[in-house]
Amino acid sequence: MSAVTSAVPVAHHGHDAAHDTHGADHHEDNYAVAWRHNRLGLWLFFLSEAFLFGGLLATRFYLWQENGITTRPPLNQVVGLVVTVVLLISSFSMNLAETGLEHGDRKMFMRGLVVTAVLGLVFLFGVMIFEWGLFPSIHETELSPSKDVYGAVVFAMTGMHAIHVISGLVFIVLIWNLGRKGHFSQERHWGVEACAIYWHYVDLVWIFFYPAIYLIGTAIHH
Amino acid sequence: MSLMKLGLVRGLIGEVVGALAGVFVVMLIRAATGYESAYSAEPCWVIGLLSGSIGFLIGVGALTDWSKWWVGQETPMHHGPPVGQPAWTRYFGVDYNHKVIGIQYGVTGFIMLMIGGGFALLFRTELARSGLQFLQPATYNTVMSMHGWAALFSILIGVGGMANYIVPLMLGAEDMAFPRLNAFAYWINVPAIISLLASTYYGWDGGWTVYPPLSLRGGAGYQFVFIAIFLLGFSSILGSLNIIATIIRMRPPGMSLFRMPIFCWAVMATSFLQLTATQFIAQAFLMLSVSRALGMGFFDPAKGGDPILFQHLFWFYSHPAVYVFVLPGLGIISEILPVFCRKPLFGYRWVALSSVGIALVGFIVWGHHMFTSGYAPYLRVWFMISTLLVAVPTGVKFFSWLGTMWGGKLTFPTPMLFVLGAISVFLLGGLSGPVLATVASDQPLQDSYFVLGHFHATIFGGFVFPFFAAIYYWYPKITGRMYNETMGKIHFWIMTPAFWVMSLGQMTAGTMGMRRRIADYEQGLAGFVNPHLGTIEVIHMAITLSAFVIAFGILLMIYNLFHSAEMGKVAGSNPWRSRSPEWQIPSPIPEHSYARPITVVGEPYDYGLPGSYVTMAGAAAGDD
Amino acid sequence: MPKSSTHPRHFIIVGVLVAIVTLVLYVVLERALPMPAQASLEALTIDWLFGLHMLVLSFLFALVVVFMVYSIVVFRRREGDDTDGEHIEGSTSIEIAWTVIPLILVVIFAFIGFKTLNDITRQDPNSVVIKAHAQQWQWQFEYEGGVISDTLVVPLQHRVHIELDSKDVIHSFFVSEFRVKQDAVPGMVTHVDFTPIMSTEEYLAIADRKGEEMKVRCAELCGLSHWSMMAPVRVVPENEFTAWLHREMVKVNPALTKADLSKTSN
Ligand code: HEA
Ligand code: HEA
Ligand code: CUA
Ligand SMILES: [Cu+2]
Repeated sequence: MSAVTSAVPVAHHGHDAAHDTHGADHHEDNYAVAWRHNRLGLWLFFLSEAFLFGGLLATRFYLWQENGITTRPPLNQVVGLVVTVVLLISSFSMNLAETGLEHGDRKMFMRGLVVTAVLGLVFLFGVMIFEWGLFPSIHETELSPSKDVYGAVVFAMTGMHAIHVISGLVFIVLIWNLGRKGHFSQERHWGVEACAIYWHYVDLVWIFFYPAIYLIGTAIHH
Repeated sequence: MSLMKLGLVRGLIGEVVGALAGVFVVMLIRAATGYESAYSAEPCWVIGLLSGSIGFLIGVGALTDWSKWWVGQETPMHHGPPVGQPAWTRYFGVDYNHKVIGIQYGVTGFIMLMIGGGFALLFRTELARSGLQFLQPATYNTVMSMHGWAALFSILIGVGGMANYIVPLMLGAEDMAFPRLNAFAYWINVPAIISLLASTYYGWDGGWTVYPPLSLRGGAGYQFVFIAIFLLGFSSILGSLNIIATIIRMRPPGMSLFRMPIFCWAVMATSFLQLTATQFIAQAFLMLSVSRALGMGFFDPAKGGDPILFQHLFWFYSHPAVYVFVLPGLGIISEILPVFCRKPLFGYRWVALSSVGIALVGFIVWGHHMFTSGYAPYLRVWFMISTLLVAVPTGVKFFSWLGTMWGGKLTFPTPMLFVLGAISVFLLGGLSGPVLATVASDQPLQDSYFVLGHFHATIFGGFVFPFFAAIYYWYPKITGRMYNETMGKIHFWIMTPAFWVMSLGQMTAGTMGMRRRIADYEQGLAGFVNPHLGTIEVIHMAITLSAFVIAFGILLMIYNLFHSAEMGKVAGSNPWRSRSPEWQIPSPIPEHSYARPITVVGEPYDYGLPGSYVTMAGAAAGDD
Repeated sequence: MPKSSTHPRHFIIVGVLVAIVTLVLYVVLERALPMPAQASLEALTIDWLFGLHMLVLSFLFALVVVFMVYSIVVFRRREGDDTDGEHIEGSTSIEIAWTVIPLILVVIFAFIGFKTLNDITRQDPNSVVIKAHAQQWQWQFEYEGGVISDTLVVPLQHRVHIELDSKDVIHSFFVSEFRVKQDAVPGMVTHVDFTPIMSTEEYLAIADRKGEEMKVRCAELCGLSHWSMMAPVRVVPENEFTAWLHREMVKVNPALTKADLSKTSN
């Protein structure tokens, strides 16, 4: 369920959460309550998504084996390592952005977001150019979604992950735009927190995908 | 009043516009990239349906508030019907009140039940006699497959209805944890239904299980179904997320987990299943969809794929899904029974935990649908043992119901009749489960009518009967009026025996060797005549007749519900003398259900003891 | 009727009723759920297991329904009585009992299920091996020596090992009289074993057969003509089977001599 990501109960203003008692005027209180609701909602959503990614991993181990031995396609190890490192660094910059806001340092917050988005884009284009071979003029690959299960599964896993990266990027842009307009404060920034955890989550998924695609099993050449 | 004021109408226009735009874009791309013909049904409609669905959501207004948030606008929560319009219009547009959404879900589920049942009536008429009469095999396969999915839509949506309406009321909560998400989750069901129904135009013949490679061939209708289930699954996930968050975070003071009304337990267990397992069917159907579109080889042996993989992914969702179908229904039984027995629910904790037990064990038994599939033989033994284990927590529920009835003071208004009917019918279905769970006796019965008998009984006992019980039970709360008791009882007494004939008839046909999913059968099926019941044709005729009797009963119910909404006796706030909080407030329930916050001071089912379950705060209160 | 709901009289009556209803149900179910002729050893095993299930099912059904109906009749509210029932919240020991007893029953059934499964999947190195090829929408059977047949011919009282494959979609090999079923999956070979114990001749001789022979019926939805994907089954005595096979082998390969033929396993 990829499209889910764009509609996560992002509620970054916290309004989607029902109020404790209707008509109550404690605005701050409501925000805090809503924040806790939202946080739970987001984690439940992650639990759900874990099953999606788990299913893809299961598919990979089910299909990539020959005579009982785990196999993997011959992928470019350098590309894999580079994009992984880039994504990990982006988690770090995202963290800087969030802590920046929490400490009232808006400059760090905005810069962190930009750096994260750029690194995310680098990751995305790395995968698209070097793994998928979307731009044959730059790089050609033998991997094809329709040739065999190796191509099919690589495309399925990286594709599903890429959809999440893209929605994460959209999320960052929205947050950045709101931040630019002066939204969010030290006390009220659920949207930023959601964006950050989401980004870390997408990152975490890749930490499972990367070895499954690049490292585990014997590389086979067809 | 202009029709355009109705969200539904705007949504449908959005659907059409979006779909045409999608088709047009694909045609443009195809023309530009040098395809012979710009139009090709499958790619055009895959994109068309997706863009149409988005068009619908925009049109109906389910995305409006969120899109405002994205640019930093505040959107205050609106209560009550749309300004300047009659109250009924709120049911046809985006509304954030869980009671409205619950009714929307419930009615939609009911409509799907009629559509699904209507398909059944169609092909049952064909099957009444041996020989091909008016449905050609291709049509038969489509109609039969549609019956399966339309009926399952009705369950998933109907369950959503019960949960949405009842759970916040039972918690004394103002609304669900995420009202906008709630409305969104409801409204994506509509494009899902549109996609599903549209699939009949191109046809698809895979049964509801759509096993590849069959589903990789055949009509474009498959893609419609994949998209429909995709959207429906999306709704399930978001809806269940909302329910869990609501139950965990919005309970009133004093309501510890073990003091919740039992229905909340059932719904929580169900929601965890839906939240997690649904991802698997989404993934499996997405894989089918891209296999068709891009030639990906997950399930194609020629490309190193494996058709069995699909079955694992499919059943990893679809087995837990059958517990999604029944757990809320069993919760309804446990909820209503004490009220009409005037006795506490026997062994409350055990009943609560048995839902969780069923849900957990439900995750490790999926392979019992694949005993004949040819997977590794040792798996058969494992799945046999794990499947049989489910009987234990389910038994706990049955025995607790008996304990609840024993020594009570039973009365039998319509909801109670449907509850008792549900218990007996679900028992038949449940007990036929272990017959299928032991591999050897499953051999002749797998993919036979016996399986149909099994699951129609579990589904009717676990969903249809409890759903009807719930409708009759909460009807006075919803409308403020009583349904017509006599008509309700007639409905029960014609539907129940007819159902028994249908379900047992299916089991009989199954043991006699009648396969599932066949457009026609031989008159004397293997020359076999049952000396006690006659030929298989007699049995089929009986099944068909009872199907029509069931349909008649349901029509009667619909008449009753419509008629009584105007003519029924005024119900008062608590006609059933229930202890549950929603019966302590006026019927119909006001916009803000609870004028004052509630506090739980007792056990939910302490019938026979003085004191109450909840108290409402004094007028001075109002702060937390 | 005794006032207290825990008075032993209630339970004695219910116990007797449960016993009676169990028996009645069992007899009814035996008749209402008949299986086709038992034409293989597997049929005997499976029908035995099925019968056992029916017995237990009758008992459990009777147990629940008799308790329920008894409560409905005996514990219903009397006219004008507005009081609540007895306040009983539950009983841990009873709950444990009705958790543990079904658990034991289930374990026993798992054990029996395991035994019967072993029994029906027993492998015999002397089996006649037949390859069954499925495709939309027909069956084809391949014997040794390249013999191809549209009818499944099998020897009486001899273990048969079928190897299934499929050219296109999933099909399923199902002979209701043998009680066996196995999917034929493209890209893999699956197998199923059985021992026929009723010849076609005997089968047709039983009254009510209407001259219809046994059939392999496809039991997995495989598209348009799934409903009519069938092939006749002929069970013949072993010597007849061998004679038939030899005739067919010679048809395929006229150069075969008597000596070649006698070397074949049957
Ligand atoms: C709606 C819900 C529903 C429910 C609740 C169940 C419940 C169960 N089901 Fe069913 N099932 C379906 C819906 C359901 N099923 C559907 C839709 C299919 C077909 C799918 C398809 O192919 O299209 C199917 C198919 C199906 C199969 C595959 C058949 C085949 O294709 O070959 C099997 C096999 O094991 C099975 C087993 C069981 C078991 C053991 C239970 C158990 O949960 C039942 C437990 C309950 C009891 C046992 C009764 C009460 C217990 C007691 C009174 C205690 C004492 C009892 C004992 C000790 C035995 N089911
Ligand atoms: C909610 C679940 C549900 C429900 C309620 C039903 C209800 C019925 N089912 Fe269903 N059935 C399934 C779920 C369900 N089924 C599934 C999942 C399958 C498997 C599909 C597959 O193999 O892929 C199946 C398959 C199935 C088959 C096997 C088809 C085959 O294998 O070839 C049969 C055959 O007898 C059958 C019969 C019936 C009948 C007679 C009813 C009756 O109860 C119906 C009674 C009628 C109504 C409930 C409707 C009321 C109608 C009106 C009030 C008016 C008419 C309305 C309109 C014209 C719109 N069903
Ligand atoms: Cu072949 Cu059904
Ligand atoms: Cu199952």
